[in-house]
Amino acid sequence: MSNPLAIETQDVRRIYKIRGPKTKGEPTTRVALDGVDLQVKRGELFGLLGPNGAGKTTLIKILATLLLPSSGTARVDGFDVVRDTEEVKRRISMVSGGETSGYGLLTVEESLWMFARFYGLENKVAKDRIAAMAQIMGLEERMRAKISDLSTGLRQKMNFIRGFVTDPNVVFLDEPTLGLDVQAARDVRGFVRQWMDDHPDRTLLLTTHYMAEADEMCDRLAIIDSGKLLVCDTPANLKRSLQTEAVFNLKVAPLGAKPKDGDLLEAVPGVSRVNVADVNGHTELALTLRAEDALPEVLAYLTRRGSSLIALEKREPTLEDVFIKVTGRRLDQAADAEKAAE
Amino acid sequence: MTLVQRLHNIPAVNQSPALRAFVTAAWLGWQIESNWARPFLFAVYVIARPISSVLILVIMYSVITNGATGEPIFAFIYFGNALYILVNSVVTGVSWAVIEDREHYRVAKQIYTAPMNTYAYLLGRGVARLIIGSVSVLITLTFGVLAFRIPLDINVLLFLAATIFGLASLSALGVILGAVTMQTARLQTDLGSLVSGGLYLFTGAIFPLDVLPSWLQPVGYLFPVTYWLEVTRRALLGAHAARFPTFAAFSDWGLIGVLALMTALLWLASGWVYSAALRRSKEEGLIDIETNF
Amino acid sequence: MAALEKDIIRSQERVKKLHGFALFWAVVWARAYPRIIGALRQKSWLFFETVFPLMGVIGYIYVYRSVNAPQEYIGFVVLGGAMTAFWLNVLWSMASQLYWDKEDGNLEIYVLCPAPMMAILIGMAIGGMLMSATRAAVIIIVCSLAFGVVYNVGSIPLLIAVFLLTMTALYGMGMMFASVFLASGREAWHLANLMQEPIYLVSGFYFPVKALGALVATAASIVPLTLGMDGMRQLLFPSEQATGLMPVELEVVLLILLGVLFIGGAYFALRKLEQIGRREGRLIERRR
Repeated sequence: MSNPLAIETQDVRRIYKIRGPKTKGEPTTRVALDGVDLQVKRGELFGLLGPNGAGKTTLIKILATLLLPSSGTARVDGFDVVRDTEEVKRRISMVSGGETSGYGLLTVEESLWMFARFYGLENKVAKDRIAAMAQIMGLEERMRAKISDLSTGLRQKMNFIRGFVTDPNVVFLDEPTLGLDVQAARDVRGFVRQWMDDHPDRTLLLTTHYMAEADEMCDRLAIIDSGKLLVCDTPANLKRSLQTEAVFNLKVAPLGAKPKDGDLLEAVPGVSRVNVADVNGHTELALTLRAEDALPEVLAYLTRRGSSLIALEKREPTLEDVFIKVTGRRLDQAADAEKAAE
Repeated sequence: MTLVQRLHNIPAVNQSPALRAFVTAAWLGWQIESNWARPFLFAVYVIARPISSVLILVIMYSVITNGATGEPIFAFIYFGNALYILVNSVVTGVSWAVIEDREHYRVAKQIYTAPMNTYAYLLGRGVARLIIGSVSVLITLTFGVLAFRIPLDINVLLFLAATIFGLASLSALGVILGAVTMQTARLQTDLGSLVSGGLYLFTGAIFPLDVLPSWLQPVGYLFPVTYWLEVTRRALLGAHAARFPTFAAFSDWGLIGVLALMTALLWLASGWVYSAALRRSKEEGLIDIETNF
Repeated sequence: MAALEKDIIRSQERVKKLHGFALFWAVVWARAYPRIIGALRQKSWLFFETVFPLMGVIGYIYVYRSVNAPQEYIGFVVLGGAMTAFWLNVLWSMASQLYWDKEDGNLEIYVLCPAPMMAILIGMAIGGMLMSATRAAVIIIVCSLAFGVVYNVGSIPLLIAVFLLTMTALYGMGMMFASVFLASGREAWHLANLMQEPIYLVSGFYFPVKALGALVATAASIVPLTLGMDGMRQLLFPSEQATGLMPVELEVVLLILLGVLFIGGAYFALRKLEQIGRREGRLIERRR
């Protein structure tokens, strides 16, 4: 326990070969991680925030020993993930969103027992802990149901029991609330937070593309995009970094055709960043100004462009604003761009 | 453009839900199975498997008879077994498609909610294996004729009639087994293979029905496959076809008549079994069940 | 009571975990469990997987009857027919199983957890063997009674030894195939298909393998069932010993060698598989 770092990576790169037929000049490889340096302290609930395809799952897989890095080193709980695979495996667990593992003909109880035994839990210990976890997750009524009969939410709760029942030192949660309804997602988040409070020496790495989830749960987080870690700090500090600026949401009449570079909204004095999105017949602007007094200039600009103000809201910066600041895009736009690139 | 592609390109408005489902399923089955055209897979499916299964019988026969392959009973066994490849292909194709859609591709939900005739869909899914099976039969028969000098005497009309009704009855049997598969877990081997292996016993494929105890023989009369094998042997071997007491009283076209009647009955039965199975699957929530263990 | 149960999880006391052989053993039974319980729960297999194969074997018996074969040949078919249960189990429930586990997302957990992969495969084998043994027993009992097969066993211990050695080598082969098949992706189906009927032929499931000639029969001996069935036939039907490929004692030695070869091969193949899986980032995750 002398090492204060539960997770440590140095310059981790991962390159995938692109399979399938290619036209001439098309790339044959894709860089999924591009020199990732990460340090997660023991006892931290650390978040990796990024759009789909940013490299979150690749990083988790490398840390969970499922994938080798192309170069660089990674250590989990003091052990090298490439050299000391068996030691790492004994100390970790992983739960992914939308997981369908298990055998359809087994009951929830049997399936959990089987996996607990795979992790070396003694028979009685496994059964007692499974029963206790079922109670905590509100699954005790369904323990004798076949796993193929569970709803998505209950199946994910079962996966959570599988992940935590083995008393891991480091837990990897890869998009754990993917596809869950509000209540199930809340239950899952509540459990994770409680578990971390009860076990201050354990570490949890969470990947998500839900801003609010990252904001609510994580002690610290890193924003990852196109395989690179862009910033890393506590959610509060990240948001505070924007507080010298003023953040507004504007809803305006459609702006029409894009003007030349010099006439762009970004060129208006005092405008730090702007993100434009057309939504339901109007335009939404996420506007970051160096100071509030730049606002009249912006409104005058809109009038010149033939638009008009529908609604205006000043708000506290969110992680979304942080994301826009470091990537130049909104999270959903980043996801779309990744999708288009694939 | 292949024939299947051309069929697939017929504008949807011109197609009935059943035809659309059948053609699309046949196209899908072909996409899944068509890699058999690669040399290795061609060797596996179209040559190695069928020739092996027929050689097992050739050796069993030869060990006992010291290789008397000129006897009518040899041609009987060889042709019966070669034709039986088609039983396995068609029946297996459909029941395997049910498992594959449900547990491999996991598209059962989408298929059973689509506005199409799912009975026709299942039939269509069997087409690809039927084509592959037919090529196998052809190669196995050719091998037999060349290697063992089995004399051919083909009656084309009789052969065509037998083939049409035979394939129709096999397809209906395939759908029945597909319907049963919808209700069961993924077995070690698929239901089609199991049943076609079991029916070996009753359909006079590899020994004349007369060898069976008299109380078991009537079971064989219940399956159209029995008549199809008998009449196809006659259509291909002519006077050389061994005539055993069982069907000696039937003329060739008399057998076709029985086959046609039984095929019609089996089609009716398959429609009924399939709708009952679908209803039960919906009642019990079995459509997209996962049954790995 | 409820609060107490929850305290097990909330407690900071570390859970004791099994290591080494204890872990290996626990994993074997944990993986065998779904196989056994799944079979008991899905009773239809009992009907489908025993009645139809039984009918198929009886079909082959009647082929011999139709050409007036000696009674011992009926015994040969019964034994071969029973052994098909194990061969199919190895092909379709061992060799192809990791592929299905990949499809279901289980393989990722197998690779992720500290359970030795060999233990998982052995568990799978033991669980599957029980189902196959049922099928084989039904075939032997029903056919022997119905067709009056008479066994004159000289040495029961030797017979048991040949059977167990055959099973060990055969399931070792299955474990090795599991990795090889997984590495070949969907081609696994084709490999399994390739090995079904052709092995029935060259291993002599329905006739004495010697009938294929010494060269083919010896080459086919790489499949443990070839030697196993030949040995068992010689021991069960001493009057037909002349149809045996080689002395049973030699077959015992060869079966031991095959067992070592395949189990060792399985171990290395699994390690290789994990390495490739981790390096290439596929093989173990579900894709379709």
